[in-house]
Amino acid sequence: MNQNLHQAGVKLLNALSRHADLLMQVYLSGTVDETKFSPKVIDSLVQMGILWRPDADADLRLKNVVRQLLEGSLHDERNRQIDANIGSALKGLKTLADHYKEALQHQRFTEANAHLSDLTEHVYALTESLENNVRVLFSRINNEFGYVSSIDAKIRENQLAQSQVSELLGELEMFQFDELSEIAASNRELRHLLVVTLQHSFSRVTQELSIVQARLLSLLGRFRELRGRTRLLKGFLLHMEHSPSFVPVNYCGLTQVPMLFNQAEAVIKPAAVDVTRVEHEQVLQQLVSAIKTLNRPQKAYQPERAAHQIHVEKQSEVEFAEDKLKKAVEGYFCQVIDTGERLTALDYYQQHQLEFDTEAWLYQVIGGYQGLTSEEQSYFAIEQSGELHPVYNGNFIIRDVELGLR
Amino acid sequence: MISEQGRILESLLSGAFICQISDEDGWRFLKTSGNSDKIEAQLNMLNRTLASAAEGEVYYAAYQTLGDNERKVLTGQFQDISSHLVPLVEWLLLVQQASGTDVPVTQGTALRLAEIQLTIEDTPAFAEQLAKISHYKLFGSTSVSVDGQIKQVFKRLTDLGYMLRPNQDKQIFIATGKVEYLYEVIKFIDETESLSLSEQADSAVQQGSLI
Repeated sequence: MNQNLHQAGVKLLNALSRHADLLMQVYLSGTVDETKFSPKVIDSLVQMGILWRPDADADLRLKNVVRQLLEGSLHDERNRQIDANIGSALKGLKTLADHYKEALQHQRFTEANAHLSDLTEHVYALTESLENNVRVLFSRINNEFGYVSSIDAKIRENQLAQSQVSELLGELEMFQFDELSEIAASNRELRHLLVVTLQHSFSRVTQELSIVQARLLSLLGRFRELRGRTRLLKGFLLHMEHSPSFVPVNYCGLTQVPMLFNQAEAVIKPAAVDVTRVEHEQVLQQLVSAIKTLNRPQKAYQPERAAHQIHVEKQSEVEFAEDKLKKAVEGYFCQVIDTGERLTALDYYQQHQLEFDTEAWLYQVIGGYQGLTSEEQSYFAIEQSGELHPVYNGNFIIRDVELGLR
Repeated sequence: MISEQGRILESLLSGAFICQISDEDGWRFLKTSGNSDKIEAQLNMLNRTLASAAEGEVYYAAYQTLGDNERKVLTGQFQDISSHLVPLVEWLLLVQQASGTDVPVTQGTALRLAEIQLTIEDTPAFAEQLAKISHYKLFGSTSVSVDGQIKQVFKRLTDLGYMLRPNQDKQIFIATGKVEYLYEVIKFIDETESLSLSEQADSAVQQGSLI
């Protein structure tokens, strides 16, 4: 029998882990989407009692025990249920304790042992459920009923939690330790379970519940205040819509001005700098160095920069000299044409005893030749005589130019 | 070095509201009864007195005795604040709706400009409301884009001291105690003019649900 139970349990747990994905989806959405999963899987889950169909045409849902298991282990805040049925649990404990004592009296030790382990299980289950209830309440308080959005809903949730707390406290009154200690009598095991363990958990839970109650009350107060503020704002706007011309009386004209509107004018203005204070010197220097200015000094009147009348004179002298040079080059070209002989520029220079700088003369000759049209150039042949510069390669120094007719 | 007391005195005299968000050290200093007496004595010399609003959440300097000049100043201020009420209230409600948590903006509420902007841009009704709010004289926006409008609104609110921008690199704003002061002002007007604003809102909601 025991072996069978073990195997069945392992099978059930395996099924849970195999279909974990499906089960979590059901847990989160509430119902099974039967089109998404194979009917075989769903059927097997129904048979194992993990899913169930509350109504013939209703969707499949998780069994409550599975849901509770998940809620408990995941610390899900949506878990609002509180198991406050302490009375029946206590009765169960008393019955088991009686069984145990009877078995001991008849010296059926194996039976007594089984009863004791059963009893232990039940006592621990009771303490755990008590602690769990308190934890559920606390987790809801700690996020201020964050799972509902509107303030009104939060107030309702708060009221539900408060009624649960008072119910729990009422149930806790059913713990009658004198009765329990009477049942336990002188048995050490029973005393430990029924008196020590339960009392310990009882005192802790009552202590925590009183904290929960205080927190719930203060939260309720806060929620009510927030709701009051929203109403105040909305009411004000409504009032302004109904009577747009509404202007409050000038309360400052009353003999007793309400403190709320008595608000003094600012009197302090920034202080001025004191440059004679030595201890400020460094700070002031830093400030000065940080000043960014565009330096545009105003210059004094500068007579040399003032506007002048500019006299433009004809620079006849220079033109004349150039003219002479040009005329001389023309004469040189004409002589070459007239005589038809080759003549170097320097020879012509000496024949006519010209007064120009020789270099300028040679430049002018070359320039004169280059200045001719290409047709006219073709009548003349020009040849430069000179030598390469001894140091700087590629420079040709012209010593003379020879001109002739082609 | 200026002492803590001197620093607080200076900020009070320059017209600042001291709350837990804008100046936590100063606020704690004033919360201690001995310290506030010292400040009070110094303020009295300048015809000022230490005033607090919203159950001690905000401290500011008020006039001790009121002459004609003081009354003139206060009247000007009162006209300012009463003309600011509608734009500010509309804005507070818009933010409350856009942030989706149904929690009104209170001291210490952090507002992320980008998130609010996203919601407003996605919801035409909010965008319309923002355009209306931002064109009030208080905010003075001339922009046609949601981006420009919301930035201008936040900038003005920071200038007026309702919001604080702790990090200049980030568009995150924190509501200061001046928001609490604003609620207090509305509450005061509600009570003195017996407007019963909350009841008006409630009955409007009930009528809405009946329809």
